[in-house]
Amino acid sequence: MTALPAALLAAEWTRLTSTRLWLWGLLAALGSGAFVGLLALAGPENFTPPLPGLDTAQGTHVLLGLLGCTVFAPALLGTVAVSSEYRHRTITTTTLFAPRRWTWLAAKLAVYTGAGLAYGAVAAIVAGGALFGVAVLKGITLGLPTVTVAALLARIALTMAVYTLLGVAVGALLRNQVTALVAVGAYFYMIETVLMLIPGIKELYPYLPGGATAALTGFTYLADALAGQTGTSAAHLLSAPAGAAVLVCYALIAIAVAVAAPLRRDIM
Amino acid sequence: MNIEVRGLTKAFGPITAVTDLSFEVEAGSVTGFLGPNGAGKSTTMRMMLGLVAPASGTATFGGDRYADLPHPSATVGAVLDSAGFHPAHTARDHLRVYARMGGYGTARVNQVADLTGVSAFAGRTTRILSTGMRQRLSLATALLGDPQVLLLDEPSNGLDPEGIAWLRYFLRELAADGRTILISSHVLGKIEHMADHVVVIRDGRLVTTGPVTGLYGSATVLVRCAQADRFAAELMESGVQVERPRPDLLRIHGLSTAQVATAAASHGVTLREITREQPTLEQVFLHLTGGSR
Ligand SMILES: Nc1ncnc2c1ncn2[C@@H]1O[C@H](COP(=O)(O)OP(=O)(O)O)[C@@H](O)[C@H]1O
Ligand SMILES: [Mg+2]
Repeated sequence: MTALPAALLAAEWTRLTSTRLWLWGLLAALGSGAFVGLLALAGPENFTPPLPGLDTAQGTHVLLGLLGCTVFAPALLGTVAVSSEYRHRTITTTTLFAPRRWTWLAAKLAVYTGAGLAYGAVAAIVAGGALFGVAVLKGITLGLPTVTVAALLARIALTMAVYTLLGVAVGALLRNQVTALVAVGAYFYMIETVLMLIPGIKELYPYLPGGATAALTGFTYLADALAGQTGTSAAHLLSAPAGAAVLVCYALIAIAVAVAAPLRRDIM
Repeated sequence: MNIEVRGLTKAFGPITAVTDLSFEVEAGSVTGFLGPNGAGKSTTMRMMLGLVAPASGTATFGGDRYADLPHPSATVGAVLDSAGFHPAHTARDHLRVYARMGGYGTARVNQVADLTGVSAFAGRTTRILSTGMRQRLSLATALLGDPQVLLLDEPSNGLDPEGIAWLRYFLRELAADGRTILISSHVLGKIEHMADHVVVIRDGRLVTTGPVTGLYGSATVLVRCAQADRFAAELMESGVQVERPRPDLLRIHGLSTAQVATAAASHGVTLREITREQPTLEQVFLHLTGGSR
């Protein structure tokens, strides 16, 4: 009876809502949405280097793409969800109450998929609202049709849910909270960027989480800028559906890893 | 529900923690699981609960391994030294999470909180709880499913005398309900008055197992006399085992006080003091686990 999915889901939900983690998640989601709003207010034409304005398709793309760059935040939340069990050694009691270990991991994945979607929805709605609000304020029309903007925002929200799952998997794999957080942060901020500088490996970029995310969100600014600086040609991103497929594959691998990783480990 | 441990073995790299350990715990008994620090008690309990994978051997509760029990947390409750709490959780939050996990209602959370005295600090975050409070919270968590079997790993560690007194009283109540309790300790005093049976291990191997009374062994007689030299020699000549802890003190094995007095009289030895000596469980334990050290 312990393995009743409903009981495990309820427990995970209680765990998420009874600490401030949910509040930090909400603040991060609101913050990343608001961040896009602030950039819109400042105007891409005032960036260094200047970019096309909000009233151009590219300018709107850039701002949406920047929202896509904040996907590491929900990944960190997913990581904390698992690594905090190891850090605070609640993992012992959790495993005693659900000795078939994959069951509580599966419950975490399910609850954090929901949390990731909620995170993405909040971030996307705030960012979308801010973009349209700024456009009205400045008396301009966004450079992309409303439907396209909404579709891109929806994709970003989904991407955030996938990244939350990736984060859960990293947490299950690395256990040590600091190591896991550093690994996730370093990956998104440094490792993928560095990989893009290596000519041979650059071809892999479209298939890495960041490249697939870029394909999905239509954000190529980073890749283009790097290509411009290094004088090489930018890696060709996949099409949006292919990017989505790659991300889903990562999510599936993440689930498999997260569920399999704690199976045989000794819990001391 | 009987507990059966069969041939449990575990090594951590080059360190063998537990070697071919077998013992049984009878349903309804309170069994002391004794051994010095590092003997392998915690490792054994973790293997019994499926937290640590044994290299070989099994542990079963009523025939089922812990992980195969239909409702583990309602069958076996465990208080382990390694279990922690989320520092931002209140004591009640902690109980709520695991009550949800086991499928127990809020009413049960309140029951175990009242039973263990957690109610008095249920609203405090676990970060600021004292060792005694943490131990109560661990017990409350273990009792959520009202299990018939309890595994307690050195539950009195770090407790003050008051806490230990409370724990003893509390465990006695639980035992009186007919629960099967396995309680580990590196000192015997803490469970001496509770356990009916003992399992003694050392260096990961079984030393002895059986009823507590069997551990006491036979009594000895302690005498103080002026002619200790001569008396000791006479006794040893007739095949009696004699120790001499101090020059004027003899510890005589295998004779009653009456037999010692008679022997003294017949040898013309004047006794200044004669005491029947029952070794404490502590001494027995030291003797058993100390070996040749
Ligand atoms: N995680 C571990 N890694 C390496 N050695 C360990 C580990 N846990 C326990 N040991 C070793 O196994 C032996 C038994 O330890 P333990 O079961 O904790 O004993 P006890 O609980 O009786 O004090 C000790 O020698 C200890 O150092
Ligand atoms: Mg121990």
